[in-house]
Amino acid sequence: MSNGEVQLVSLVKKFDNFTAVDGIDLLIPAGEFFSLLGPSGCGKTTTLRMIAGFEQPTAGEVRLDGTDMAGTPASKRNVHTVFQSYALFPHMKVDENVAFGLKRAKVSKEQITKRVGEALELVQMQSMAHRKPAQLSGGQQQRVALARALVMKPSVLLLDEPLGALDAKLRRQLQVELKALQEQVGITFVYVTHDQEEALTMSDRIAVMNRGKVEQVSPPREMYDEPASAYVADFLGVSNTMDATASAPDGDGVTVELANGLKLRAAGGQTSARGPVKVVIRPERIGIEAPTATGPNYVSALVQRSVYHGSGTQVTLLLHNGQTLTALVQNSQAGDDPTWAAGNAVAVHLPDWALRVLPATS
Amino acid sequence: MTSRLGNSLLWLYFVLMVAFLFMPLAVLVLFAFNSGTTPTLPIEGFTTKWFADAFSNTDLTSALVRSAGIGVIASILATAMGIMAAIGLNAKRVPGESVAIGALLLPLVVPYISLAVGMLILLQALKFKNALWEIALGHSVIALPFALLVILPRLRSLDGSLNEAARDLGASDFAAFRLITFPLLLPALLSSFIICFSTSFDEFAIASFLYPSGQPTYPVFLYGGARSPAILPQLIAVGTLVIAVSLLIVGFSELGRRWAERRIEGRSAAPADVSATDNVATT
Repeated sequence: MSNGEVQLVSLVKKFDNFTAVDGIDLLIPAGEFFSLLGPSGCGKTTTLRMIAGFEQPTAGEVRLDGTDMAGTPASKRNVHTVFQSYALFPHMKVDENVAFGLKRAKVSKEQITKRVGEALELVQMQSMAHRKPAQLSGGQQQRVALARALVMKPSVLLLDEPLGALDAKLRRQLQVELKALQEQVGITFVYVTHDQEEALTMSDRIAVMNRGKVEQVSPPREMYDEPASAYVADFLGVSNTMDATASAPDGDGVTVELANGLKLRAAGGQTSARGPVKVVIRPERIGIEAPTATGPNYVSALVQRSVYHGSGTQVTLLLHNGQTLTALVQNSQAGDDPTWAAGNAVAVHLPDWALRVLPATS
Repeated sequence: MTSRLGNSLLWLYFVLMVAFLFMPLAVLVLFAFNSGTTPTLPIEGFTTKWFADAFSNTDLTSALVRSAGIGVIASILATAMGIMAAIGLNAKRVPGESVAIGALLLPLVVPYISLAVGMLILLQALKFKNALWEIALGHSVIALPFALLVILPRLRSLDGSLNEAARDLGASDFAAFRLITFPLLLPALLSSFIICFSTSFDEFAIASFLYPSGQPTYPVFLYGGARSPAILPQLIAVGTLVIAVSLLIVGFSELGRRWAERRIEGRSAAPADVSATDNVATT
């Protein structure tokens, strides 16, 4: 029995003159929940389709448990896909859909009945076994699609934005369920999504893709806290990106000079860099205090705009050097905090640990 | 006031339009039951004699059987070719797709008579004698565009990942077609078959060039008989029957198509609480 290690070696896919996947090397160990994250057109779905066998690589290899899959058609790979559209067979009942692959594999009738029952139980869809897909809600269809793939006991499960068509609440609920399910069945999940929150919630590791290339591969917390490029920082949630010049080293940090001579101390990222760099800071790490507050990395600013959205308020700040920053503050107390009202003068604290120095390119 | 006038005019137009469409058929039905031997007014009396005569006329009935047989073969061929052409055209990145579609639809605009002359010359050059199978082949050519025009939109409306899902679950390309694509295309195939059959059944030009002597198809027999007053009333009676049968076929095929659609969608199936009491069973 195979155990589900996926390896991509210098994988390239070209369509006519368009390079969808431009040399990807990845090793996904067995049992990992791995996400390919990126905007549409970044090559993540094409990569998934090559693992599934729906597309043939132009160059490079897809290896499953060390074996190159070049000559193996999709129907012969122990890899199954949950499609974005679910692709449930509309003329078959739920149980017939789930039994489809087992019948193809010539499994005995008793075994089919048993395994289909187990698979439907796993996704809590036993009561819907005799319905047609058109009679199910989107979330239910998604569960059936999962059961149909899992019943085959694949060594790798490929998921192409399986939650994309669902509403936000259901999506969050299913994210948690999906992660629990993956831990329960213990097979490798390769999950394609453009939703950074989804990737951060579920994955053991994430690969952020950009124009057919992998920008960074990291566990979620590291990806969020320590982005290797401004692109990754920006893609994983709103990030403030500032052009700066790194100059004097300062202990384990570095002094960076922003527009109009504003100097700050940055202690995150590539503090050994010199010359033109990008400096990024997460909105939730920016402190907003009374205008009288002073200290290192305190900058006076004006509140331009405050947008309330439930648990937090998004505050747009104009620093005295002309730089605009977006801050996110928690609405931890009832009522408005008058400090954040538009037009107010405030002191903005940019903690040195939260300021990350990244290469200027990209 | 004006809108009432407009409404009346619209109704008048509608009535005239319906009369324009159906008067010729109505006349046919009227004279089928007329006891006079010539189809002229005034009506002389009611009779069903012509139907009895027609069915004892073996020349006429065998012409009908010939046309029906040719129609069945031609529509099966055209529908089969239509499926294959549609699958080919539906595939991703087909080079020269629009040229291919144009070529496949060409029989729509080529006069049948030209096709008939061309076929006659070609078949004679190949030393074939006139035969009924040649007519069936010719009819499958002129029916193919109709088959394609019915099947291709249906195929394009299917989610392409259905086929991929089938292959993903271990089905060969052919099994994916047989188990997924074909059943989902069935309503369109039924429509295609009916349209192709009726195209073939009343085709005259090709049949008149290619029929073996003494074995005319129904339209060819009709054309010859229309000039012999003795059997004209019988032809009118059979024409009436053909209209009735056509209406029945269209009615039944529409019912069949709806049934097939319902089977696919499953909208009429049982609600949740009923199925919850059932066991999970698969066969």
